[in-house]
Amino acid sequence: MDIWRVNLEKRLLTREPVPEAWSRLGGRGLSARILLDEVPPTCEPLGPRNKLVLTPGLLVGHMLTSCDRISFGAKSPMTRGIKEANAGGSTGLHMTNLGMKALIVEGQLPGGGPMRSAWSVLHLSLAGARFEPADDVTGLGVHEAAAQLLKRYGDKVAIALIGPGGERLLSAAGIQNLDKDRVPSRIAARGGLGAVMGSKGLKAIVFDDAGGKKPHLADPEAFKQVQKLFTKNTLDHPQTKTYQDYGTPAMVRTCNAFGGLPTRNFSSGQFEGAETISGEQMRELLLARGGESETTHACMAGCVIQCSNTYAGADGKAIVSPVEYETIGLLGSNLGIADLDVVARLNWEVSDLGLDTIDMGAALGVAAEAGLMKFGDGDRALELLREIRQGTPLGRILGHGAATAGRVLGVLRVPVVKGQAMSAYEPRAIKGTGTTYVTSPQGADHTAGNTIRAKVDHLDPKANIATSRGAQINAAGFDTLGACIFAGFGFMVAPEVIPQLLTARYGWRVGPDILQVLGKETIMLEREFNRRAGFTPVDDRIPEYMRTEPLPPHNSVFDASGEDLDGIFNW
Amino acid sequence: MITVHLHTTLQRRTPEGIQRRLQVTLPAASCLADVLDRLAIPLDQESILLVINGRLAGPDQPLADGDEVHLIPALSGGAQS
Repeated sequence: MDIWRVNLEKRLLTREPVPEAWSRLGGRGLSARILLDEVPPTCEPLGPRNKLVLTPGLLVGHMLTSCDRISFGAKSPMTRGIKEANAGGSTGLHMTNLGMKALIVEGQLPGGGPMRSAWSVLHLSLAGARFEPADDVTGLGVHEAAAQLLKRYGDKVAIALIGPGGERLLSAAGIQNLDKDRVPSRIAARGGLGAVMGSKGLKAIVFDDAGGKKPHLADPEAFKQVQKLFTKNTLDHPQTKTYQDYGTPAMVRTCNAFGGLPTRNFSSGQFEGAETISGEQMRELLLARGGESETTHACMAGCVIQCSNTYAGADGKAIVSPVEYETIGLLGSNLGIADLDVVARLNWEVSDLGLDTIDMGAALGVAAEAGLMKFGDGDRALELLREIRQGTPLGRILGHGAATAGRVLGVLRVPVVKGQAMSAYEPRAIKGTGTTYVTSPQGADHTAGNTIRAKVDHLDPKANIATSRGAQINAAGFDTLGACIFAGFGFMVAPEVIPQLLTARYGWRVGPDILQVLGKETIMLEREFNRRAGFTPVDDRIPEYMRTEPLPPHNSVFDASGEDLDGIFNW
Repeated sequence: MITVHLHTTLQRRTPEGIQRRLQVTLPAASCLADVLDRLAIPLDQESILLVINGRLAGPDQPLADGDEVHLIPALSGGAQS
């Protein structure tokens, strides 16, 4: 495996051996290492000194169930700190087939800025790199753009692409990837990495792995045996069935039960319409509608959990794939919307723009508090999203996410940490996840360490420090392996599977705690980048109103002490 | 009267459709384990989260009239150590 480096100013690809210090990392951990080694932490995120880094996780390449995720990294225009966002789909697998340990995209194509006129497609294959004009797909939403690119390059390629949001350098823009059905639904959504890609002048990166091969295995027979065991453990686990049937939307009623479902711009933890936007409701609805509906859908080839879905309307025609819990929480209950069809249409619009549904839902919640829409008014929410497509000043403001919207609109209740919107877990009711929002180097993000499923009193601030610490370490470990967090229960049946897989693939001798070792190293690298970027403990704090305004139904506030928060990573 | 909310795989198929919410009347001084017993749901704390009035609870926790109980098949991910 090599490091593939594309210099956009010279339009040059070089393939370099992997430096020793990078060799035992992948995914999020490798991304952090590369950014710390190569990107000045104080640089302008949308300027030429920032780099866009794509790193498949350590286990990517052999269709191990739920373990082919791709990490995208850069300095974030949203948090202005280090950023990693990962996604399923086929990009990671194509990269490893081409022999890429990492892809580093540096510099910028000429003619940058918000009025850039010429966009390019970067095409990578064993023959090298090609730059091709993207005129025919410029300005298109990701669904149409992906369809056009597949016509041009054939339907066997993998594609990472941006939508109009990324082209306009909006801070809520993500990078979308094709799922196994070639729908660009797998988004590395958070922190504005789509804007970083846009700043470089790339509408899409195409990976053609023709002639490529799976990465080398140190011990193929041992790998096969462990893979078989891990697949069996995951497949036999009762939770796999629950995820297949209900997916992440099962969380709607759970979070509502704990009083932690964001409602009307994070003003309540319970929503009276939770039942009608629940995973249980969605499953019944989709089964009754049939047609293109799928209640069970895999985002990556070879995944046996298949937690994704395709949401079809009353006519059986697909509206969007997938509808996930976070989207329901932010574009549903957080906007006072109790109709899944409305949520699905909003979801499609945000995804097609290439934006993060979490930050857009939070921005619309802030807009509603500012009087730009009434809570519950889905038509108005859709109108506001169309302003983003039209590129109006209001659309641009909203497209930068909740933090910018709050500042411009004079709203003080803005659910963000480090400028990034909170996911669909109210930190005053689910204090472990709240602790993660506050202390993660990534900014507010449930995927950095969600504690809703932990057996802990979610209202106890002290106990949740340790819960969040453990969850953050594991999440960073899984992100470095390229493993979906839902692979976790499969791994937990026999945790020795993780070191065994690494040994069989790489020939490494690793300890039983390798997951935590990787997780801790990753978090330390990220904190160091942020420290050099100018972050201090002041940045590791919750918005003030969440400390002073009690949240119904528990009437709780976020009350973790500064001392506890500042000491969370003193392991 | 206790209101019991059944989540995901614990929902019940009845001739009238899928039932997610039940009202249960129990003798005074009953606890959460009695609810599970009444509903013939095996008490397995590994696989079911027990929630009373929005807080995680144990099977021995006593119940009061008007309590809201949620029985949630566990979905893990993220928080194990």
